[in-house]
Amino acid sequence: MSEQKTTSRRDFVMGAATGIGAGAIGAMGLYSYTPAAYKHFVSLPRGNREEFGAVRSVKITNISETSWFDNATLMGDIQAAGGLLVNQYTIGWPPFGNGKGIARGSFESGLESIRKMIPGNLEEAWALQSKLGLHPENPGGFSCLIEVESLDGTLHKYLLDSGWSFDWMDKAFKREKIDQMLAAHEIEALFLSHEHWDHFWGLPVTVKYDDRIPIYTHNGFYKEGLQYIAATGHKGKLFVQDKPIERIIPGMVVVKYDVPIINRVFGETSLAFNIKDKGLLSISGCNHQGILQCTSFLRNNLKYDNDKFYGIYGGLHISPFEDWDPKYDDLVISLKQYEFDKIGCNHCTGVITAHKFVERGYPVVKGTARFRSKTADYLGNGDTIVF
Amino acid sequence: METDSSPSYLESRKLVKRWSGPWPVLANTLMLAALFYATWWVFQDPRGIMRLYTPYVGYMYCRWLLIILIWVAYIFDYWPFRRGWIERANPLVKGVVLTAFSVAVMLLIIEGFFMRILGDYGISYMSPDRLEAMGITRFYALEYATEAIMMFAVIASWLSPAWVVACENAPWAKLPQPTRGITIMLVTFLFSTIIYFLTMHSHMAILFYPWQQYTAITPGYWESFANTVSGNFHIAWIMCCTVTVWLYETIWERYPFNLIKTDWLRRVTSFFGIVAIAFALCFFLFYAQDLAWGETIRGTRRLMAPDWRWLHVGEMAIFWLVPMLFLNFYCGNWPTKFSRPVNVALRTLITIVAAIALYIAYYKTAHLFLGVQKGYSHPQQFPMIPTIWLINIMLINMWFMDGWPGWKAVPKTADELAAARQEIVADDVRWSPALGYGLAVGVIGGVAVYVLFVNILPWLGQIVTIIEGSA
Repeated sequence: MSEQKTTSRRDFVMGAATGIGAGAIGAMGLYSYTPAAYKHFVSLPRGNREEFGAVRSVKITNISETSWFDNATLMGDIQAAGGLLVNQYTIGWPPFGNGKGIARGSFESGLESIRKMIPGNLEEAWALQSKLGLHPENPGGFSCLIEVESLDGTLHKYLLDSGWSFDWMDKAFKREKIDQMLAAHEIEALFLSHEHWDHFWGLPVTVKYDDRIPIYTHNGFYKEGLQYIAATGHKGKLFVQDKPIERIIPGMVVVKYDVPIINRVFGETSLAFNIKDKGLLSISGCNHQGILQCTSFLRNNLKYDNDKFYGIYGGLHISPFEDWDPKYDDLVISLKQYEFDKIGCNHCTGVITAHKFVERGYPVVKGTARFRSKTADYLGNGDTIVF
Repeated sequence: METDSSPSYLESRKLVKRWSGPWPVLANTLMLAALFYATWWVFQDPRGIMRLYTPYVGYMYCRWLLIILIWVAYIFDYWPFRRGWIERANPLVKGVVLTAFSVAVMLLIIEGFFMRILGDYGISYMSPDRLEAMGITRFYALEYATEAIMMFAVIASWLSPAWVVACENAPWAKLPQPTRGITIMLVTFLFSTIIYFLTMHSHMAILFYPWQQYTAITPGYWESFANTVSGNFHIAWIMCCTVTVWLYETIWERYPFNLIKTDWLRRVTSFFGIVAIAFALCFFLFYAQDLAWGETIRGTRRLMAPDWRWLHVGEMAIFWLVPMLFLNFYCGNWPTKFSRPVNVALRTLITIVAAIALYIAYYKTAHLFLGVQKGYSHPQQFPMIPTIWLINIMLINMWFMDGWPGWKAVPKTADELAAARQEIVADDVRWSPALGYGLAVGVIGGVAVYVLFVNILPWLGQIVTIIEGSA
């Protein structure tokens, strides 16, 4: 009798052990990815969205969107250096070349070679780095001038990013008279969207004309990045943003996104504006966080006119190397529902993406394909757009 | 039954510890760690020597090495090497020779079959040279081609072991080697090819501008179901199939389908049962992410993107495979003292806890010592590469080196062999009213566990931060 009880208990336990697995797996399979499972996902309230004022208009002058001129050369260097995870300072590109070749560059040795020349003698610094660095003819850079008209009519000027090649950026600054604006201290701040070579390494060109300009960076900048800012001779205030949203003037904020980025860079900041009676404008360097992630964050955290996304400008980082992935098509397909009035894209958005946007009838503002920009399908160097 | 063919080498050997106590597992763990890190630095690490982690080039080699190891040990039973040599060779010599042989076969298949034959004469996206000649940068030409070639291995690394484990090599179990190996390899390769075209070909076709709509269905038929045009949806369930095959083979000891006594029914049920369990796992892991991180936003990138969430399903599954194999290989499939269902349930629980610990440890530390990017969802963050790299080393250690240094192989006795053969059809769990009652209670308990997880995951998503300030 006792043995029978033991057997029954043992059988029960065996059945229960099997049943737990069967029940759990059954529930996982039959419920998890069904409409019923998502019924209790309520749309979260948009929370305490921040009132941040409004501006009358924003005009953007594209100083340079051509960060590099030949994709194959750039990607060849990255590939030879070991791929997209290699520390950007070690690849061997100017201004951190040291003459040792691919993947043997170093921040310290590169900077040491030009330390005494920046920011005063950029021609000599770039000429030297053209000998020490890889493919010095390839770098260009990304930078734009943002002119904001406040509701009271005051005009504010800002610079987003400072490009890469000292030579190219200096010429681009002169072309758009940025050098004069900087020298006259008309530009109130420089926002460094992120630490990548093509947005940041041209910093001495800005500092050359205004060494006291306030600089805003993401707090994900590595120590090399911060050392470089100091080494350029910058004497102004450095704001290292650690808050998600930083107000600049009424109607204008800097938004911080914590995202890992290729070649050992971390984090990006974008600018957001509330354009009176029109809606929200987002301006980005590369938008590594993703344009829809960006809009989702802004939608949940900011109050803006008409509750509408009015426009975007800048690199959207979709096919920066004219590469492609089906997930980018998800973006191209989905963008329609966001109903932007104006899309001012360029740079790392990629030519393929611009073509796909245009094919789908999105309001992409066309450019003039001047100053080495590759396509008129998006805003090129020297083009302007007003929001 | 077709189970009376001569035992394979892995079936015929018994691994015994060289020392008592924890020393064998400690010694092997140390060796695994050293080999992993040294080979990672030489081959994969973006700061190392060959820097194959681009990521697809390194991933392709990693996945193909895995499938070749499975072919050598499971499908070909070490052919063309003689059984006598396999049984007597020094484990270190055997490990080096068999690994070198596997690498040579891998290179032949990748460089010869895929890139040269298929790539040059059939499917242009398999050839980096052809892609480059058409204007794609060398880097992406290599990435696209290796992604496609890698996907064949992903599918084959589910189907090949499934044919051995679930289908018990039927109907070719009695064939001698290499006839059996070649037959199963060709059949599973054929099925892999069919599944590749049904799953990944459309993904590859929309990599190019404009979409290659005359050669593939564009976008893929799964778009509305998976909320993405990306083939990552297929990677998710296929990876879950791979993991479930090994779950079933190792810590589950082929339970419960081995209770079915009719050969064809057991094999068919095992094969499709594994697929069904894999889909359940796949859907749950996707749903779990939605619960923890919020619903996906189609078109966005990284953490909130549906395509990445599907990929992460496969990544999470692979995090489970590592402790599963470790428990089976190095811990004697502990625990073993209870009834089989209880042992299976306990092992499942232990490996799930270990997988979660490994997941947390990986994302907290991998960027500090593997040269990978910080964060969950960066396009260059592929935890499947280091985890499968580690699994490859574990397989080499156990299949090619007989568990050296902590273990050595001795032949099983006739009784042990007979007992092992009997395991194919288990009879230690028999129907009784108490078993049925327990089963019913267990099912309710299992559903309750699921409901509990569904309810606590949103809360966990709010309070747990594994990677500070990252996506």
